[in-house]
Amino acid sequence: MDYVNEINQIVENRHVRAFREAGGKVVGYSCLFTPVELLDAAAVLPYRIKAMGHPETDLADGRLSRFNCRFCRSCLQLGLDGTYDFLDGVLQSNGCDQLRGMFENWQYATAPDFFHYLKAPHLLDPDALDYFTFELARLKAALEEHFSVSITESGLREAMDRRSRIREKLVALDALREQEHPAMTGGEALQVVLAAGAVSAVTYEELLDRLAVDLADRHVARPHVRLLLGGAATDEPALFAALEDFGAMVVADTLCFGARSYRPLLSMADGAGDPLRALAETYLGGSRCPRMYDEFDGRLAFVREAVDGARADGVILVNNKFCDLHGFDNALLRIRLEERGVPVLCLEKEYGSPADHGRMRTRVQAFLERIGGRR
Amino acid sequence: MTVDVHAGIMERGLKLFSLIEQVRGVPSDEEMEGLLRLLPEDSRENLTAMLAPDLREVGLVFLEMIKEWMFAARDARGQGKKVVLVPFNFPPDLVHAFDRAVPLTTEVLTTVASLALPGGAARYWDYIQSLGLPDHICSSNSVDVASMLTGKDLLPDAIISAAPGACDANAKVHEFLSQYQGIPQFLLEKPVDDTLEGRALYRKYFRTLIHQLEELTAETLDPDRLRAVVRRCNRCTELYWELFEYRKMRPCPVPNMFNLFLAPLRFCMWGTESGIRTLEAMLDTARRRHEGGRYPATEERCRVLWAYTSYYFNVSELHDWMGRQGWTFLADVLSLYLPQPIDTSTVDTMIDGLATAAWEYPMNRQMGTSSMSRAWVSDMVWAAREMGADCVVHCGHDACKQTWSVVSILGEELMSQAQVPLLVLHGDSWLKTTTPITVIQQEMEEFIGNVVLGKKRTRRKVRRRRPGVGAPDPAA
Repeated sequence: MDYVNEINQIVENRHVRAFREAGGKVVGYSCLFTPVELLDAAAVLPYRIKAMGHPETDLADGRLSRFNCRFCRSCLQLGLDGTYDFLDGVLQSNGCDQLRGMFENWQYATAPDFFHYLKAPHLLDPDALDYFTFELARLKAALEEHFSVSITESGLREAMDRRSRIREKLVALDALREQEHPAMTGGEALQVVLAAGAVSAVTYEELLDRLAVDLADRHVARPHVRLLLGGAATDEPALFAALEDFGAMVVADTLCFGARSYRPLLSMADGAGDPLRALAETYLGGSRCPRMYDEFDGRLAFVREAVDGARADGVILVNNKFCDLHGFDNALLRIRLEERGVPVLCLEKEYGSPADHGRMRTRVQAFLERIGGRR
Repeated sequence: MTVDVHAGIMERGLKLFSLIEQVRGVPSDEEMEGLLRLLPEDSRENLTAMLAPDLREVGLVFLEMIKEWMFAARDARGQGKKVVLVPFNFPPDLVHAFDRAVPLTTEVLTTVASLALPGGAARYWDYIQSLGLPDHICSSNSVDVASMLTGKDLLPDAIISAAPGACDANAKVHEFLSQYQGIPQFLLEKPVDDTLEGRALYRKYFRTLIHQLEELTAETLDPDRLRAVVRRCNRCTELYWELFEYRKMRPCPVPNMFNLFLAPLRFCMWGTESGIRTLEAMLDTARRRHEGGRYPATEERCRVLWAYTSYYFNVSELHDWMGRQGWTFLADVLSLYLPQPIDTSTVDTMIDGLATAAWEYPMNRQMGTSSMSRAWVSDMVWAAREMGADCVVHCGHDACKQTWSVVSILGEELMSQAQVPLLVLHGDSWLKTTTPITVIQQEMEEFIGNVVLGKKRTRRKVRRRRPGVGAPDPAA
């Protein structure tokens, strides 16, 4: 797993540096509603902005406030302190109010050369799909104009094929993780997903192929308690370490930096129809993000299927302090899951705050004792 | 373990209004004192301010309007009508256009609890927390939703959720209520896209919403009834702008308290006879005060514009107190809604006009657009200039992640474009348990005394900031 972890050690990793040195352009994005296939097809490396639990927010606090989620403040901090200066552009999306604020300040304070706002609807109906298809066409045109490239249909279909294969390979890795003796820990699985947003699709597919071979006969210790982790933006390896420190293991997740980035599998490129429409259907229709309205039942089913598939003993739903979307959804998911006999711990966390780990460890320890699990 | 709540906001509010119903004509000071003594202390203080001698006549007209609105919801089912819960960023006029539907506005009911019920909004806030919801959600809607979640309040037959796109907290709390109590929800997304495509999508959704209301009420939207409502909306618009002229005057003849009256008027009773009566009474009062040269203090010392909401749990110690200091409460974003006349020539023009009005509603217009700061800055700079504001105050409502996200931009742009300083406070607009009103008063005193009035004494040259590439376009 070292070759995976190495990618996430620093933001501008060696793959990104090599890509740029070869003349490639890199564009930062944050939200899962961003169809990275379009950037792939434009020969632009889509880099998913993350903070990996970065604890400093002093520069960002001068623009955002302490009532904004610290994930966004940490990301903005890295945008303001120069860490993300290697980006050739930034792609905003309206994932949530906090992200909107983060990007707005990013643009206001740093004025990137390329800045495009991709607006994703919050509903899933034919009108919304028409609108999102049109929005993707706007993005395509903006990429073509700014980077002086032509995104051809064949190039886009090729990019969609590759990303579809990547999704399938990630689902296959999940199966290894769900075994009685998992092939990797939850923390390692997080590293795999984090790497997806930090290298090109070609490099990432090669990495997944290598992993599949390396993990085929690998088994970590059988967990005492099998957990599903769901909820808000969680790109903090330290959090996973804290959760998995008591003999429990995160054998499945429904996280934004996790399974929600590649599940459910939807057919993207069946060779027919408008590829932009296919992308719109995939990214809107496949979303299990609480920003989508009228879709709660689908999110509940998604969690339940993941619990059943991984034979999880309990569910931990995390939300970053000040995250409204997950704060509401987690409370309702808890009510509905517990009605069906699934034990749930809702855990509000202060993102990137080591001082908060002690409190969380105590809560998790109490939860694990409550649910017992199989020993 | 949930917090025990014995009665909902509607039931308790209706009892209060039943008491007010006993008032015949405009009572004398003695009669009013006797009446107010019947009320619990927290309600008494606010209602005393709202019914002060100078405001009594118009205050009673306003309370009569609120009473009519609440009683209509109470009596709806008995009359074969449906109760439709709407958020504050949606025109109730559309619901008024249906014979068999009445609107009930979440945030206005929260305000009723906050300023008129014993204990304020706290018990409902505690209840919703006990269901596991976080403490940073928005009290403006979650307090009333909490009351409905208890099962001890009037439940609506349907919910119009008009905040998807504009506000996560508002949209999610209505989704939670819909899921928890099994109430159908009609979704009206506000695209964060000011282009023709964004507006076209919104108009489509607005028409879908009309069909959903038609199905709910088993009633086809009647063009004549719609036209009558829209004409009354237009009359309200005329009166609003007449009043606006008085709001610009120095000293301002419009009582600070009118900001509190204007918001529920728009959010509950716009386009009704009762709404027109209330606006006429407000205009009458402003006119008389202007003609009589009356102002609550010896002089108008400071003109204050509120950038977003203000505080609604103690109007006696905010709106009334500001007046006594000689500080005019020019507007907050809830009373600065800039309505426009609607073309009544065809059903389509009226529906499009209502959709445009909804698009421009407070919060939709500012935070629910492609830039959370650009329209907000533009509105505040315009209002500060037009109304002659000496300063702008952001109340710092905890839950408003949008305004907290871009208030730094607002402050920079206000100073650069209008040379008006911004005070950023922190508190909850509807919960008195977050920041004491005395602390708010103290911070305002320090700011206005040192920065605003101090600046008036020694005018400093303000260096104009060169707008950056990413700065909001002042011409937008």
